[in-house]
Parts: sequence; structure tokens; C-alpha cells
Amino acid sequence: MAGAFSFKGCQKIRGPQIRSLLEAKDFFLFDCDGVIWHGENAITGAAKVVNALVRHGKNVVFVTNNSTRPRENYVHKFSRLGFADVMLEQIFSSSYCSALYLRDVVKICGQVFVIGCEGLRRELQEAGIPCLEETDDPDATIYDCALAADVKAVLVGHDDKLTFLKLAKASCYLKDPDCLFLATDNDPWHPLSSGRILPGCGSLMAALEVASGRKATVIGKPSRFMFECISSQFKGLEPAQCLMVGDRLETDMLFGFNCGLDTMLTLTGVSQMEDAQEYRNSDLSTNHSLVPDYVVDTIADFLPAFEELEEESN
Amino acid sequence: MSGSKSCARLQGVLLQQLLDSVDSILFDCDGVIWRGDQVIPGAPQVINLLKQHGKRVFFLTNNSTKTRRMYADKMSTLGFDVTEQEVFGTAYGCAVFLQTACGLQGQKVFLMGSQAMRQELETVGIQQTGVGPDHVSGGPGDWANVPLDPEVKAVVVGFDQDFSYMKLNRALQYLIQKDCLFVGTNRDTRLPLEGGRAVPTGCLLQAVETAAQRQAQTVGKPSPFMFDCLASQFGVERERCLMVGDRLDTDILLGSNCGLKTLLTLTGVSTLEDVAGHEESGCAERRRMVPDFYVESIADLLPA
Repeated sequence: MAGAFSFKGCQKIRGPQIRSLLEAKDFFLFDCDGVIWHGENAITGAAKVVNALVRHGKNVVFVTNNSTRPRENYVHKFSRLGFADVMLEQIFSSSYCSALYLRDVVKICGQVFVIGCEGLRRELQEAGIPCLEETDDPDATIYDCALAADVKAVLVGHDDKLTFLKLAKASCYLKDPDCLFLATDNDPWHPLSSGRILPGCGSLMAALEVASGRKATVIGKPSRFMFECISSQFKGLEPAQCLMVGDRLETDMLFGFNCGLDTMLTLTGVSQMEDAQEYRNSDLSTNHSLVPDYVVDTIADFLPAFEELEEESN
Repeated sequence: MSGSKSCARLQGVLLQQLLDSVDSILFDCDGVIWRGDQVIPGAPQVINLLKQHGKRVFFLTNNSTKTRRMYADKMSTLGFDVTEQEVFGTAYGCAVFLQTACGLQGQKVFLMGSQAMRQELETVGIQQTGVGPDHVSGGPGDWANVPLDPEVKAVVVGFDQDFSYMKLNRALQYLIQKDCLFVGTNRDTRLPLEGGRAVPTGCLLQAVETAAQRQAQTVGKPSPFMFDCLASQFGVERERCLMVGDRLDTDILLGSNCGLKTLLTLTGVSTLEDVAGHEESGCAERRRMVPDFYVESIADLLPA
């Protein structure tokens, strides 16, 4: 939890301090929901910030636990919202990284039983991972449905079409200790732009953990794996060069800590300053890993620092 | 039950002494008197003989898929001489809990559970919304804004074969309201039968608890609620009461927590290895899961 200043973290920074940080770091990792946009609305100034970072020769990647959309959708969304030239290679979603994990780490031979959306299946299919087809007739019950023989992994993601039958099938497959148990993320709930929330993958994962007596391997933040995917793609990347910017202490800040990155909390999303302070003041030392090094009200607070940099170079 | 405790096989003189020392015997159902629809051989004879000898017999089950009337009917079909008042299942237990402990008589709940739960609720004057399938329509914005029935005072979770993301979502939206109560039937995470394929209630409850970041109150074993109901309805003396079950973490733990004598039968989930494991652990909570006695099957309670 180094930071450029010798204090205990959770420090709100502006102006000159942000400028020093921008000069010190080459690689910026941004969460999306609550950081870059709320639903279909970009955070005011976010596009300018990202465009400016790129103009100043910085690397920018986007790291999201959202497993519901294929990465192409994000490319179109960035374009729609005024972000210049964000490429597929800059986008790391938990669904894309789940596919990489199955293909490159596990080198899976056999089928995957997927509890998830079309977006997750698409990423798996594009990586050449065989997914079990959903062929149940509507009246099938767990007592009379067929179970496939060569299921080598159960992958749980966000699934708005989740049924009792899918959960029951997953439990059955997980009885085989050689069948892997993966989850795209462990977020218990997701915020919507309206401030309302929806059940997250974490709640489905918890049900299956309890059913199977097994712990899932979590691909998304706060697990390190997505950073390993990023490092494989950007050779020579060092944690010290990076700044992780997110809005959720339990996922983004913990992810940054786990990967040895400096962390910045932006207050445009889920977690508030009080939440960060509570973790900082906690007697439980593991809670200190969730405390951000830096805090900004919004990533638009980077803009005055760029304006100064640009004035100086004129 | 403090200090060391070893679990003795119940037979001969010990059996007679135990039977003489109790007036009421509580039986779990799955794995004790039947396995699914198959009666444990000798079970009806045991129950009927105990009653003939002046013992009171009750049934205490965490299963929420039948009303007490449905249990009594199943038992009669299988040869047990039983009345519905003697059966305490969690569908009934939950209804009583909501009526008495939560004061919800005449009010409404959001139910993720069976028709049996619905019937037991209606019997105590509690209305429900939510039972049955809940199909997906619209998108995430719609789901977060599902219309909530303002009369709903509690979310109630039991075994529900119509469990789905939409139901989980509705439960979450109700539970975000701080004054909405949260009640579950039981926390069992294993099915009664080996090779079973359903999803146990404890897992469905875990999904709702994780999404809502709240814990439910549960009425099933090892919670003492249903025993307390039974005891107050029938004036049962704890010291003269025997709990017979097949699961250490529900039946035997309930017995220990309520000060009852406890008997493990080996026709269900738990094994003598499990007992030894708890006995040898240094943990007080685990020692409460060591039964006083065990039998291979409740048929061993019949005179030789």
C-alpha cells in the first residue's frame, strides 16, 4: 500500500497530487460501472480523461466483473459514449477471462456446464470452449432429465434465466471431484444506474458452494487472475507502474491490493468515504486490504492536472 | 451434557431402562421411519407399540413440502397410527412462527415455497404472494423496479422447485426494506436420500441471504422453535423426552440444546464415524452432536 506519500491511505487528492500520480504511473486500470459510466450515461468528463491519458502516452485498460456482454458490445458502447478508439484488446471482462482460464490454464478437454448469459457463452465459444447446450424441454424436472457424461467444469456467472433445474444439474456435476468449479465473480449484488440493486453471481455461487461443500475458483476481481491476463497481453508490465481505479472496495480495491497495485477509489459508484474509513479503522487487519491509497470524487478530477501538463508543454 | 460422553448401543437392559425413563418420544421422519416412500422395516410396529404402552409419540421433520394433514395421510397409508396434531413439519412450524413470534396473523408474506406452505399459512390467516413459477420478462431496469406489494411484511423461504432468478430478485427487493422480516424453514444443505438430485432448502436460503446480505431466522432443527411449540401444546417434560433422529447436526443437536435424551439411528445420513469425529473434537458445539445412544434401525426398539 505504498503511495507517493507516507500516510495511511484513504487520502482524498486533487490538483498537484493527482498530477504527480499521473506522471508516476504508466498503466491505468479502470473499472467501468460507477467509474466510467452509469448504465448508458458516461460520468461527466470520463471520456476526456481517458482520451487525455492515451494522448499522454499512458496505457489504459478496462477491468470489469460484468459477465453479461461480449467484449464487442463494450467497444460499441465506448464509441457511443464519446471515448476515442477504445479497442477490444483494452477490455478485460470476467467472461473473457473465464474463457482464457479454461483454454490456457486448465486446457480443458471436455464440456463446460454454464450457468450464465448469452454474453458469457459467446466469449467461451469464441475461445473454442465446448459448452453444454441448453436443451431441456420446459417440463423437464431434475428427476427425469439427462446428465451429460463428460462435463469437466461448472462455470457460474450472472444468469437471469436461472432455474431450480440448472442449480440441481450443477450440483450433480460438482459431485465429481474432477469437475472444476468456477465463478465469474463473487459480487453478492450489482447496482443499477438508478441506485437499485439486483442479485449478483455471488449469490448463485454461494448456493452452489453450500450444496457441493466445495469452494469456487473466482476468476473476477478481487482474485488476481484478471491481472495475470492483462500481464500476459502487455509483456513486461510491472505492478509498480499501475494504478487501479474503481468504485467498490470489496472488489476493486481488494483486487488492487492482491495484485500489488496502487489503488484509487472514485466516489461516483457503490462505496462511500465512510465505508473506506470504517475498513481503515477496523481491528481486523484483513480489512485494511480494502482501504484505497487515494480517493477522488470523480475521475473528472484528473482533468485540471492534464490542463496544467498541457499548458506547460506549450 | 458436559464432560466426556460416549454413545452406547441401545439394547437389552439399557433399552428397557431408557423406555421406562421417558414418556414422550419424538421421531424425525426421513432416514428414521421412512426413506422417501419406503417405510423402514418395523417402523410402523415400533410407533404403534410405543403408543399401546402409553408413550406419547410425535414427529419432528425439517421437510416443508407437506402439511401436517398430508404427513398424517402418508403415515396412515404406510401403516402408522398417527393424528395430524402429532406431526410437526416446517411448513406448519413456519406458519406458527410467523403468527405467534412475528405477530403476522391477518397479514401477508412473500413466499418462496410449496403449496403446502401456502396452505399452512392460510390456516393461520396469513396470505401470501409469490408461490409458483415466476417468469422472466423485461430487462434489468424492470426487475429492479418490480412492483412490490405494500402489504408484504416478510419474505419466507422454504423448499421451492420454482426457484429462479426472478424470485430471488423479488425476495431481494422486499428484503432491502429494513422492516421486512426474513424467515426460512431450515438450513439443511444435504438431501434426505443419497443420490438425490434436488437442491436442498439450505442452498436456496443461502442464495437469498447472500444477495440481501442478511440472515434469516429459521424454524427447523436444530432451532428449538418446533420443539417449544410441541412442548407448550402437549405439556411435555424435557427430562422425560427422547429425540430419535438420523442427523447429528439437526436432530441430535436439537435434542442436546433442548435438554432431551438423544438416540441416533443408522438408517439415514450420519454414521458412527461422524459420531466419533465429534466426540474426539475439542469443540463444545461438536460435543453437543454426540448422541446418548444409537441403534442400527428403530426396529431395534421392538421387543426381541
